Amino acid sequence: MAIHCPGCGAIHAYDVGSCLLCGADFDLPAPTGGTVLAVTRVDAPSIDHEEVPYWTALIETDSGQAIVKLESPAQVGDELSFGSSADESRAVVGLAGTGIMACGLAELLLKRGHRVIMWGRSDASVSKARAKVLDRLSRTMDEDELDTAAAAFNDTTNLTDFADCDIVVEAVAEDMAVKQAVLPGIEAAMRANTVLATNTSGLSLEDMAESLTRPEQFGALHFFNPPIRMKLVETAVCSKTSQETSAFLDTFAVSLGRVPIRVAATPAFAVNRALMPLLNEAVRELEDGVASAEDIDAAVRLGLNHPMGPLALCDLIGIDVVVNIMDNLVDRTGDESYAPRPLLRTMIEDGRLGRKTGTGFYDHSRR
Amino acid sequence: MGKTKFGPTVKTLVQLMHEAIGDALRDADLRAEDIQAFVVANFLGGPNNAQLHLNSVVAGLMPGLNLPSWRVEAACASGGVAMHQAILSLDAYDPILVVGVEHMSGVPGLEITRNIGMAGDVGLDQAAGLTFPANYAIVAQSHMQAYGTTTDDFDNVSHKNHRNARLNPKAHFHHKKVEMSDVQAGVTVAAPLRLFDCCPISDGAAAAIVSRSRTDGRSVRVLGSAVSSDVISLSQRAEKTTFAAARDAGARAYRQAGVSPGEIDLAEVHDCFTIAELVAMEDLGFAEPGRATARVRAGDTTLTGPLPINTGGGLKAGGHAIGATGVGQVYELVTQLRGEAGERQVARTGLGLSHNVGGVGGTCAVHIFGGER
Repeated sequence: MAIHCPGCGAIHAYDVGSCLLCGADFDLPAPTGGTVLAVTRVDAPSIDHEEVPYWTALIETDSGQAIVKLESPAQVGDELSFGSSADESRAVVGLAGTGIMACGLAELLLKRGHRVIMWGRSDASVSKARAKVLDRLSRTMDEDELDTAAAAFNDTTNLTDFADCDIVVEAVAEDMAVKQAVLPGIEAAMRANTVLATNTSGLSLEDMAESLTRPEQFGALHFFNPPIRMKLVETAVCSKTSQETSAFLDTFAVSLGRVPIRVAATPAFAVNRALMPLLNEAVRELEDGVASAEDIDAAVRLGLNHPMGPLALCDLIGIDVVVNIMDNLVDRTGDESYAPRPLLRTMIEDGRLGRKTGTGFYDHSRR
Repeated sequence: MGKTKFGPTVKTLVQLMHEAIGDALRDADLRAEDIQAFVVANFLGGPNNAQLHLNSVVAGLMPGLNLPSWRVEAACASGGVAMHQAILSLDAYDPILVVGVEHMSGVPGLEITRNIGMAGDVGLDQAAGLTFPANYAIVAQSHMQAYGTTTDDFDNVSHKNHRNARLNPKAHFHHKKVEMSDVQAGVTVAAPLRLFDCCPISDGAAAAIVSRSRTDGRSVRVLGSAVSSDVISLSQRAEKTTFAAARDAGARAYRQAGVSPGEIDLAEVHDCFTIAELVAMEDLGFAEPGRATARVRAGDTTLTGPLPINTGGGLKAGGHAIGATGVGQVYELVTQLRGEAGERQVARTGLGLSHNVGGVGGTCAVHIFGGER
């Protein structure tokens, strides 16, 4: 977005607040739409723009020019409208939970200037989570920025504090009973016109919605760990979710700089359903003596260009969590081929749950 | 002169440069239209920020001026080399703006370590895992073997620089009180270097305006400006405890200024690691080879000593926003020579020297400032 300087008329496109030429202050508005001045269809893909063709247009808006990427053809003279994401970017966001995902989401939201209200069961858990989030932020913020973030970060053990929220994301333990126990309380505290989203990685939305009185304002926003780096958000709706809520889930994800992929509310959604059989098969390779754990991981990393091998990833996620997702897939699909390999069960019995216990497929105690 | 606070920030490359340039213009009482050319110093804009062609980005902060401009990259010496190029270019353009910038926070640890390692040779060093700390660890180990230097000597440098940073509001660790016990308790990064032997990953920008004519009584004279280079990898060198590029650039800067090392009143030296400050003192003639440790132990390099070094905290505690560092060193010296350094002001402000190293001594820029006003 480029504007004319209110002082000297120079064209400014950087969000730097003031003009070095004349000293005038300025703000860059977010474009909401404009007229196409020039447009090109791009057929050669590049990193971050693998899908072709796409269209890139130079547009004239009310306040200046901007360059925008389009998924469909446009012609010179077309009027485009994007809708403002300003409302979403000011949203007060509630987070239920104090675990890894809740903390990661708080980091992402605070970094993007949102006010965050984090709820946890105990003073100890919320204060620990708060310290963790602020420590993470201190690695990329100066003292003033950190003070601003800390002031925008409210923690509470009282669900009624969610009354201030425009959206609440539930990120408690990945366990239906736990979720069903906490969701009605969150909903009761929220204002009537706000959205409640679960960060489930693929439990039944219908079962969760049963515990709610306003299921039309309920859906799934499944972020990936760590949210500040992982671009994907799987969005999903239940049978009662309204059109408005459904659209909001995607808009909100986009406003956070993420890429939403709409998935049917099926077990484990798209990513984990593809991942779990891969992890399970790697465990079977180990059971069958195909190669050592190190070599199976190296083979997948070097042969498939995965950033991390499947067994190392099991250790990172936690063996118990992996087994839980696989069991859930079997329960909900009836397909026994998703069943976790015996070695995974043995590891749980032995307390070898991965990084969190210091040992899994690898020994993590050295660091 | 202008300088942002060094340290992590959500501000972007362009926002940091805007702040430093605006401060420099106001400090010099010049308008952007007065500038005739500018030089941008930056190391890792490509790998860290996917942003190269930074001179054109800066042009966007001064739209319509269409000034001659270019970007300089010489690893951690980018800023010092940019200062040198600007000074050399004063025949063609006057005045010239120099802006150094780096944004490194938020890049995942593995990536940032690899990226900084690009200051070493891709085949000779990087392929063997000789990261940036590992390079200086070899220098430290060699210095210990040759001269009996100990980790206590490193701790003295670190603790002094952290104390200075407490008096510098623009220092990365201005807000962090660091005791000697903290320094000693640092975890190993690359043996024998521990956490408090290493400079932090910083964001920041600094800007300077150089000219043949002085704008007011606060202008500080450039008496010497020299850049020298050397082979990039320690494996290509006979000596591991001294940098030939630093000795050479120092000698030429002293010759230009017509002064000797003993006449320097204060210095900003490139302490990316504590060992580097000791090596710098020896390369610049402030101590005989292997004897810098004695001067540090005697307190000679503290704010009240005969040769204060790294008065703003150095790279160690002031921060190392790589492309900005060489310009930031000049900012600190000029602030001291003007008598505007507040709580950390040193007494003798006749001659100041800056020493900015790229990689493990592959490039070195030395500048000498001061003299009669």
